[in-house]
Amino acid sequence: MARRGFPRAAALLATLFLVLAGGSAPARAQVEVRMWTLLSGGDGARMRALVDDFNASQRDVRVVSTTLRWGEPFYTKLITASVVGAGPDVATVHLSRIVNLAGGGVLRPIAPAELASVGLRGRDYLPRQWSKAQYEGRTYAVPLDVHPLVLYYNKTLAGQAGLLDAAGNLKPIDGVAALTAAFRTATERTGRRGLTMESSQSSYAIWRLWLAMLVQQNVTIIANGRFTYGPAGAATLAHISEWFTRGYAQAGLDYPASTSQFMGGNAAFMLNGVWEVPELVRATKAGTLGFEYGIVPLPKMYANASTWADSHAFALPANSGHEPSPAKVQAILRFVAYVSQHSLGWAQGGHIPAYAPVAESPAAKSLMPNALYAQAANDAVYDPDGWYMGAAGPLEAIASKFLPAALYGYMTPAQAVHRFETEAARLVRKRPPRY
Amino acid sequence: MHRDESTLIPQTGPTTARRDALPAWLLLAPFLAAFGLFFFVPALETFWLSLTESSLTRTNAFVGLDNYHTLLNDPSFWDSVGNTFYFALLTVIPLCALGLLMAMLVDRFTRVQGWLQGAFFLPFVLPISVMTLIADWMLQPSSGVVNHVLGGERAWLADPHWALPAVAIGTIWWTVGFNVLLFLAGLRNIPAELYEAAALDGARGFTLFRTITWPALRPVVTTAVILQLIASLKVFGQTYILTSGGPFNTTRVALHYMYETAFTQSDAGYAAAIAMAFVAIVVMLSLVQAWIVKWLARRDA
Repeated sequence: MARRGFPRAAALLATLFLVLAGGSAPARAQVEVRMWTLLSGGDGARMRALVDDFNASQRDVRVVSTTLRWGEPFYTKLITASVVGAGPDVATVHLSRIVNLAGGGVLRPIAPAELASVGLRGRDYLPRQWSKAQYEGRTYAVPLDVHPLVLYYNKTLAGQAGLLDAAGNLKPIDGVAALTAAFRTATERTGRRGLTMESSQSSYAIWRLWLAMLVQQNVTIIANGRFTYGPAGAATLAHISEWFTRGYAQAGLDYPASTSQFMGGNAAFMLNGVWEVPELVRATKAGTLGFEYGIVPLPKMYANASTWADSHAFALPANSGHEPSPAKVQAILRFVAYVSQHSLGWAQGGHIPAYAPVAESPAAKSLMPNALYAQAANDAVYDPDGWYMGAAGPLEAIASKFLPAALYGYMTPAQAVHRFETEAARLVRKRPPRY
Repeated sequence: MHRDESTLIPQTGPTTARRDALPAWLLLAPFLAAFGLFFFVPALETFWLSLTESSLTRTNAFVGLDNYHTLLNDPSFWDSVGNTFYFALLTVIPLCALGLLMAMLVDRFTRVQGWLQGAFFLPFVLPISVMTLIADWMLQPSSGVVNHVLGGERAWLADPHWALPAVAIGTIWWTVGFNVLLFLAGLRNIPAELYEAAALDGARGFTLFRTITWPALRPVVTTAVILQLIASLKVFGQTYILTSGGPFNTTRVALHYMYETAFTQSDAGYAAAIAMAFVAIVVMLSLVQAWIVKWLARRDA
């Protein structure tokens, strides 16, 4: 009996809701833009603030954001949802995944005219990032930021190890031997760890560092479906594993354990992405950080100063069969343009803004500690192009399983690289899939 | 009931069969429909998929046996099969032996029977997420009760040599209750008179077990081993949640490799080939086991 009454009650409620909503809505229907993001923690909060600000700034478009779990689950959901036409209107993706997503038919290209209609131009974005957003001559994403790998240091511990100059900044480190020596000296003179970095099984950090170090040697990773780094691959991993096997760094720490080792003043250096900056800023402000910290771009260990980086960007899922109307595209891009123009707030997450008018504004240039490593954007190196490449992509998943094994002494560096290659060989040989 | 009727049936066999055919099919229909719809057709579909190059949502080119050819030369696949068998080795025999022992305890201590049975069976009721959560807590390197008792700070689930045995021990604790029930039913079917008669003849302790309990339980043991073997080869949830296949793929079992291929690499064609190949391996293994059981029975006869 009660059950039969339910639809009627629902209908009544719906009518009531319509009446109430109709009373306050403007004459023109509001366009709702559904967004999926993989941003959690501080980044998630900052993106939510940008969405709220945008929604409050006008009445035509309303962005509704959903946060999904970072990494592989996010991309699996985005890919499958988009190809069956059930994806969101806009999504945050990594620029390193553009070849994978655009080539796989997951994303919809954005026409220059569509960008121009909301006042966006390709030349307003950092050139390296803008070119990473292109695939086969078409634009598939609008870059938001650059987040490179950097070197954090504890000024107290580095000072004890004699690694600071008169002004209290890190003396320049040139060459992999000099970096190893810095870690060793810091370990020996302070009794703490010279270095801390995430190195637990399945962590991507070792892959990022390994990649950056290979690119610094002008070594290509992959060409024509083959791994081309040769003996440099194992030799470079051996350099990294040496830091761990000699005790300069502790192997097996997961992300929270590695950052808290640095935040607790138990490691002189930390190799990590810039996304840890807000935590340091917060702890400094709260007075809970027991030391002064500094940041430098990844040191030049070999021939050049390249550093691994990735970028967040906005992309439009293809949603085949449910392609967005021009009005919807316009609404999405209005939001994207708003975020680009207000990306100074986003920079407080440690990221370097990809929108040049913001990145080059005096406010951004004086923003600390971002100014310490802003130049890293010029040396940013992404995962190589390939359908299997990119953040939390299939190749990174394989690398994250085997490369850390060399730091534990569970495999030799040569074995770890060999196992990585063997398992990745099938991916690299395979034809790029249409999802 | 007429006495003649029973002798009539064999004579009119064919007509009766025809008359019974319709109701028989009608009675079978619900099962056949479910079987066809949810097992047979998907299995055929999977086989077809394994002959194609497919992503998660799109079936592309027909590639014949290419996927199987790749599979034969794929060390990752054979590693994962090896891990699966290692897990089966670590679980099947202990689960059966422990199950039997616990069932005999329940059978013996009649006064606390309810309590014992409850305690042994309770873990089996837990959902896998709860079981893995408990195992994870207990195995924590610095705060877990296992290291508290044993001393040391071993990261059990991150240790290449200990991760799979640790998962196996958790699984044994979780599922042994089912075997206890199975063996208990078997034990209760053994007539008490047999033991009384043997006792009169002077049989004691282990002799009773060897000459009465074990032969009588033989069919139950065979069933338990087969069920357990299949369950252990199908392992996925425990390793997926506790270790996600790590460290360094030492706990990546066959089904996990299939899952990764399908969902991380979006390669449904190859994943289907892994599935079919694994099914073939399990079927072959079951046939070998059935043959061994038959051979043993013949030898005893």
